[in-house]
Amino acid sequence: MSTGAKKRILREYAECQNDPLPGVKINFDEQNMTKWEILMDGPDQSVYAGGHYKLEINFPNEYPFKPPVVSFKTKIYHPNVSNDDKGSMCLGLLRPEEWKPPNKVISVLHLIRNLLIEPNPDDAIELSIANDYKTNRAEFDKTAKDWVKRYAK
Amino acid sequence: MAHDDELAQMQRLSNDYVPEDTGPLVGERQSTTELTAEYANGDPIYRTKTAALPRKYAFYRRCRGDGHCGWRAIAFSYFETLIRVADVGKLDVEQVRLKSMQNLLNAAGHSDDIVGDFAEETFGLMQELAILMTTPNSDPCEHLLRNFNDYSRSMAIVTHFKLLASAWIQAHPDDYLPFVLDYPDLKSYCEENFERAVCEIDHVGVAALSEAVVKPAGFALEVLYLDRSPGDEINHTYRAEPLAQEGFPITNPPTLRLLYRPGHYDVLYRAEDFPVVIPPQAPIQVALVGQTGRYDPGAIAAPIHDYSDLLLSIPGAKMWEAQPTYDFNLNPSPPPQVVPVSSYAPVPTPAPPPAEPIHDFVPPPHAPQVNSHPAPRHHSIQLEQPVALPVHPPPPMSLERGLPMTIERTEPFRPSAYTLEPGFGANQMHALPFQTSIFRNSHYNTAHFLNPDFQPEEWSPGAEYATSNRGRHKSASQ
Repeated sequence: MSTGAKKRILREYAECQNDPLPGVKINFDEQNMTKWEILMDGPDQSVYAGGHYKLEINFPNEYPFKPPVVSFKTKIYHPNVSNDDKGSMCLGLLRPEEWKPPNKVISVLHLIRNLLIEPNPDDAIELSIANDYKTNRAEFDKTAKDWVKRYAK
Repeated sequence: MAHDDELAQMQRLSNDYVPEDTGPLVGERQSTTELTAEYANGDPIYRTKTAALPRKYAFYRRCRGDGHCGWRAIAFSYFETLIRVADVGKLDVEQVRLKSMQNLLNAAGHSDDIVGDFAEETFGLMQELAILMTTPNSDPCEHLLRNFNDYSRSMAIVTHFKLLASAWIQAHPDDYLPFVLDYPDLKSYCEENFERAVCEIDHVGVAALSEAVVKPAGFALEVLYLDRSPGDEINHTYRAEPLAQEGFPITNPPTLRLLYRPGHYDVLYRAEDFPVVIPPQAPIQVALVGQTGRYDPGAIAAPIHDYSDLLLSIPGAKMWEAQPTYDFNLNPSPPPQVVPVSSYAPVPTPAPPPAEPIHDFVPPPHAPQVNSHPAPRHHSIQLEQPVALPVHPPPPMSLERGLPMTIERTEPFRPSAYTLEPGFGANQMHALPFQTSIFRNSHYNTAHFLNPDFQPEEWSPGAEYATSNRGRHKSASQ
């Protein structure tokens, strides 16, 4: 990783610290700055309220010319998060072809938080969950809350 | 139905096709004859066009087809042209100018701190080049190439240029809005087509970049298309001319050239873009000059002299001087030591004649060819099929070079050198009253009554003997 990229990651971390998002905590290891560990609380207005989610943001060597990779380490019932051991989230600005080098990590964190509040079923990775969300919202809410209790407490 | 399936399958393959993403981000400069070779077995239109290419555009540089080739090609040749104009002050001016465009970037919503990262690399490279250009024995071009092959630096500069183009477009909505269909506004168009990490340059991007970066620097930008459109040559499809401050076009501006093949951009050069590089190439030029100087211009070697001049005018040959490391020699085998195959009883040759550069397309600088002087028939044999023989040490030329000529002259009845090679021993030829029937019957003939210097033909024994010389010549050769 180039010094420019390292400099940028450091600066972005400082920015996230100066302007913290509510319910988001970043564990930053200076020895391994390309892997951020995020602890995000389920937003209060969402079905995930009360859950604590562990995420990872990995910066590729080509950062900022390739997007960071976001994965949920805590299981979550969400149409935009893959329901497997990877827990990957890849949509919107996180897509390699849509990523813009000037984008910042803080906007990635905003995106994740907003998706917890309002999932995007039209750009889903888990089609059955998306279908659930669109057609049977009550059932979706119930399962999501159930998963919060089961995995995210 | 099967047809539809096939089409769908092909469409799918074509959609999934990812162009080869290997090789350097920006390659070494190479001869366009390689393109000719690349398409030699291809489509006839490509074949014709690439065959004509080296005549006008001697070199090109491959850019990696990773979706940034167009942006990178323009950025690279912008820097390279800055080096080529060899004006350190210009680099400073450009640095200040690009820095002043930060306002434009801010207006388009790009904050200093993020764009600064990318711009820093552009300015850093400019400063390094400026230092190298004032340092003797340094190679700014090499530095540029190395830096453009450093992924993060190259991408930072490309991103900076992309953002500049995007900001430029958003600052000039009237000029660009008409070209932007299918998008609600310029901003979303720019975000999608310019700012994304992976987006190939489109024609609006080329135009914007040339307006924002290339033209204000006093450079022109030319895009030449190599595609299947009918024609014998690649066609100009885009040219941006810089304007001086008074609004007049600048004459002969330094020009950035791109070679466009559908979906891909490379950098293209004319041979004269690199005049500076030739002088240091001592070995080859010295050899050529030395050879031309070695011959007595008035003597039989006159055509040889012409040949070597001709060689210099072949773009390929020039390029060879400029870039001795490239093996562009059309004849890939080692410089042959050519000895003609005798088609008749060997002529007693007094000594190995000196080297002559005529017969080989590109003369090897130091290995002389053993060449048959007396019989022009040998020439044709050599051209068609050089026969390689063991290498002999070069003959001591200074001592021997006169020899073959004098021998030629002392044997006037030796067959063909005079008759078959144009200009060979031209002086003697003029002395002969050489007449065609057309000339004889025209008024240019002084024996014709319409000639102003009319002089009726008279029988003279001297003339009779002179003409009979020709007859003797013939009979001797049979």
